[in-house]
Amino acid sequence: MSNKQIETQEILVNMGPQHPSTHGVFRMVLSVDGEMITDVQPYIGYLHRGAEKLCETMDYRQGIGFMDRTEYLANFNAELSYVMAVERLLDIEVPERANWIRMILVELNRLSSHFMFVGAFGVDCGVFGTPFLYSFRERERLIDFFEEISGDRMMYAYFRPGGLAWDVPANFVSRVEEVLSSSEQGIKDMDGLLTNNEIFLSRTKQVGIIDGKAAIDWGMSGPSLRASGIEYDIRRAEPYLYYNDIDFDVITGINGDVFDRYFVRLQEMRQSINIVRQCLTNLTSGAILADAAARNLRTPPGEVYIRTEAPRGEYGIYLVSNGDNRPYRLKIRSAGFSNLQALRDMVIGSYIPDAVVILGSIDIVLGEVDR
Amino acid sequence: MSENNENQQLDSFLDNKTKDLFDKLWNIIEKNINDVSITRIDLEEKMSKVDLIVSIDKKDILNLFSQLRENENLSFDYLRCLTAVDLQDQGIEVVYQLYSMSTKFNLTVKSMLSNDDLNIESVTSIWRGANWYERETSEMFGIIFNNHPDPRNLLLPEDMLDVFPLRKSHPLAEIEVLQGEDIEPSH
Amino acid sequence: MEVNNENNDPDLSIPILPSEHPNEEDELTLAEYKPGKALYKSVLPGILQVPADLILAMSRKSSLWPMTFGLACCAIEMIASYMAHYDLDRFGSVPWPSPRQSDVMIVAGTVTKKMAPAVRRLYEQMPNPKWVISMGACATNGGPYTRYDRVLQGVDKVVPVDVYVPGCPPRPEALLDSFLVLQEQIMEDRKASGK
Repeated sequence: MSNKQIETQEILVNMGPQHPSTHGVFRMVLSVDGEMITDVQPYIGYLHRGAEKLCETMDYRQGIGFMDRTEYLANFNAELSYVMAVERLLDIEVPERANWIRMILVELNRLSSHFMFVGAFGVDCGVFGTPFLYSFRERERLIDFFEEISGDRMMYAYFRPGGLAWDVPANFVSRVEEVLSSSEQGIKDMDGLLTNNEIFLSRTKQVGIIDGKAAIDWGMSGPSLRASGIEYDIRRAEPYLYYNDIDFDVITGINGDVFDRYFVRLQEMRQSINIVRQCLTNLTSGAILADAAARNLRTPPGEVYIRTEAPRGEYGIYLVSNGDNRPYRLKIRSAGFSNLQALRDMVIGSYIPDAVVILGSIDIVLGEVDR
Repeated sequence: MSENNENQQLDSFLDNKTKDLFDKLWNIIEKNINDVSITRIDLEEKMSKVDLIVSIDKKDILNLFSQLRENENLSFDYLRCLTAVDLQDQGIEVVYQLYSMSTKFNLTVKSMLSNDDLNIESVTSIWRGANWYERETSEMFGIIFNNHPDPRNLLLPEDMLDVFPLRKSHPLAEIEVLQGEDIEPSH
Repeated sequence: MEVNNENNDPDLSIPILPSEHPNEEDELTLAEYKPGKALYKSVLPGILQVPADLILAMSRKSSLWPMTFGLACCAIEMIASYMAHYDLDRFGSVPWPSPRQSDVMIVAGTVTKKMAPAVRRLYEQMPNPKWVISMGACATNGGPYTRYDRVLQGVDKVVPVDVYVPGCPPRPEALLDSFLVLQEQIMEDRKASGK
């Protein structure tokens, strides 16, 4: 009996909004022929909470809390874009000490977000407990440090238009060095557990490849774009804060597969530690809030589009103001929204377990995809 | 007089580097784009502090964008963002943010739609990444993008598609008030 | 009992009842019946005798398996409370992805109107007895997003909730406290079984 006479049918497999591997409420409907995927339909919007509409009714300082809650793993980066947009409209110059502290906190937040990625990605690949527990141990140390500064474990609301809300405690420099040395050890642990593991390599190499040109066409950004060989980092291309004066490397990958996306993020963690050490030597003393930042911020009419490099990619805020103390239109351009569009290109032609690994490697946060 | 005022306002927010960059890009655009009427509006009332803003009529959209993409001096191959702003009586304005990987220019293009004719051409044939942005903008504002390959709803639930949340005329929800003691955990 | 023995079959002539058999009647004596005192009553009076619902309640509260249902930011705090720093495993709870084998549903995050049918369906897929913990301000009454009309103003509009945990997001210690409160509730409500 030859195989040509057996007719097969495509079936639809629904990886529903509740699934241990979809990183939040995301739904994929896979059309499967045997085990090979022929089509994928993503459905988003299960966490659409209307942050853009609600920010139009809020003050500029009340809106900072909403920015925290859209990107809930890299909160300082989200606050930074928003606060920089308001400052650009108001033409405030932020004092030097505030900018250095902002840089340190933003890079440490990149570390904690990538720790979460490495742990969750290990779970996606089948390593159920150990990297997740180790990486969360490091993340808890970072979060304890952030709690000492801002008072909250996750939703900091610490940046203000014009600087920071209050000054850092007196043992700031020694605490940062403690946290950095333990994070270095943590990165070494993660590296030793995952990177050269034979099963991990065979699950992630040559899986989910996307070409550089196709990635630019889809509008991808961040480590997912850099893994395809395109060297585009907003900290280098359009520097903000003091990234011009700091020496760091932009890590690119070679093939654009899942392993490259993981490895780029692992190396970026080391670069972040490097950047924070340089910032600590440059830290000055002085004011932390600009004098011109009044209590009631009325911005002149205008519009800005400020983009910064969040751990997931380009986080852009498009702010239109018409002279009031609230935004007239606030648009959040998040990296996960664009990166997720390219999922179709990456997944078609691979197997169902590979779809889980590919989705994990894009590193989405549903709060910013759905807003 | 207004010229002086305008120059003063320019000097207060734009440093020389930004101003030179805007002028340089504007010159290249004027030289290389044919038969499309473009207006430079970054120096008007709503001043831009970051990117050069130009505005075009909605019928020139595909023409302008295909030229912007294919011209070697410009080569805008990266669409950052696509959104819309509801300016109540004047209409709805569609905003495109572009970037070029090779020449490193940034550009914002705007196009105004009047309230009784809310449709515009889709640019998914030029950049594939515009797909989901156009779906989201159309369900939030009620704009129809012609020739879009997949015009379904994206973020909103399927049974609530007849109202457009991000328009200014759409109100916020009421907070429901609980009636007090007769609320108990139901079994 | 009479046996029909017309043919004088030798096998049918054996006597059947013990009273007919001469030897056994002498050997069998009627046992004396003493009203019973069970061993456990005499050895450990009052200790091994516990009501069954107490045992059931104790075993239910000591191994509450939560279904991992993180929706939004509160999910990160829920994961942090499963991890080594604030260990939830010491209460006997193992996070279990399938609703068919779990006891508690922790709704962590904002429930939107698009997601509400899925929440209801997952609740109905859980077998009895089941409980629901509503974690965070968004699941309690809509939270900071309550004025948007695509957000469900509280998950108790679709599922019955037992414990509400305030906070945005609540600290992991608050989630541990909610487990203790739920355990107390299970012990108090033990007469009402089969929820």
